[in-house]
Amino acid sequence: MSLDEQTVVAQIERLTLRELRLWVSEGWVRPAQGEHGPVFDELDVARLHLLCDLCNDMELPADVIPTVLTLIDQLHRTRRHLRHLTEALDEQPAEVRRAVVASVRLKAKAKADG
Amino acid sequence: MNDAPYKVLGVSKTATQDEIKKAYRKLAKTLHPDLNPDDPGKQAQFQAVTAAYDLLGDTEKRRRFDAGEIDASGQERPERQYYHQYAAQDGGERYDGGFAAGHEEDFSDLFADLFGRRQPSGGGAHREFKARGADLRYHLEVGFLEAALGAKRTVTMPDGKSIEITIPSGVSDGQVLRLRGKGAPGYGGGPAGDALITIAVASHPVFIRDGDDIELELPITFDEAVLGAKVDVPTISGSVSMTIPPGTSSGQRLRLKGRGIKRGKASGDQLVRIKIVLPKAIDDDMRTLAERWRDSTDFDPRTDLRRKT
Repeated sequence: MSLDEQTVVAQIERLTLRELRLWVSEGWVRPAQGEHGPVFDELDVARLHLLCDLCNDMELPADVIPTVLTLIDQLHRTRRHLRHLTEALDEQPAEVRRAVVASVRLKAKAKADG
Repeated sequence: MNDAPYKVLGVSKTATQDEIKKAYRKLAKTLHPDLNPDDPGKQAQFQAVTAAYDLLGDTEKRRRFDAGEIDASGQERPERQYYHQYAAQDGGERYDGGFAAGHEEDFSDLFADLFGRRQPSGGGAHREFKARGADLRYHLEVGFLEAALGAKRTVTMPDGKSIEITIPSGVSDGQVLRLRGKGAPGYGGGPAGDALITIAVASHPVFIRDGDDIELELPITFDEAVLGAKVDVPTISGSVSMTIPPGTSSGQRLRLKGRGIKRGKASGDQLVRIKIVLPKAIDDDMRTLAERWRDSTDFDPRTDLRRKT
């Protein structure tokens, strides 16, 4: 899916062209064509929905949005890495999986016990 | 009467619109699914809260609900794809750097080594034994004005050959141009395939395109709006002089016939949206003028608005 600005604004009712251009120029959304011909895919559109929630529905002030986005982006990167790691682990022989699980439990317990 | 939506938001039935809005905002901040991607309970709660707010946040819908004309069930939003459903999937790496890209940690270097991007395999045409060469696909980004007016561009292909591409005027974003015989060479003396070029059209800081029409917002001064004026207006093919009739309002659209995108014999128009701009600092002359006018006029631009609401 690749949508131009007009289509995106038509698709997301609560988004104005002005906001879209502002958010792109702030770097909050980074569509495919860089500064020359923005083309938005599903990921960008979902992110625009999220920004509408943050800016319009929750009325978060604009100066905290970069902080919030940075935290959200870190969260999703970590989740994706964790998923990959879990999938890789699933492919290992049973004894390797058991050893890793035991080791993780031991570390978690050591931390909890101080 | 059913009071479920009120309970979901934790407000009384007599709550003001403002109280409802505040309650919703508070709940949304803690329950938003993109902030709690691994918590289906919160996600369900967020959906209930949003549905309740869709109903009660709108005074007209709330009135009809309170009067029993509609029920709460019809108010749910269509299924929505949340950001986290994409961002944590493969392909979501684009936003990994966060907003402030640049400060990577050792931690992520480990993952970068582990999960470095795989190179796309193969690449290009299927080697089937057909007589005709394969079509090759390319992307070409063109400027807004190049797309509007048409242009010629020389492009170097990955194999080192350069070809000249004629961009027709009025080409639109995503349109595919087919260059016959510019694709992969044929087999066994067969004809070459075609080059398929997908065009991406850049946006422009002031011109906005609507089909073959061009839209532009033109700032004018107060005196130009009142007295009328001749002003220079940029168009895609250079500046033209336009007459602003006396008594022009903000938001009014003036049409410059034939100044849009030309396509064969037909051509679009340029639509000029007027915007009256006042200086940041109002001087004494202007203030006196406005006060004198206010005290002598009975003009009210909002009579129509009041009658209709």
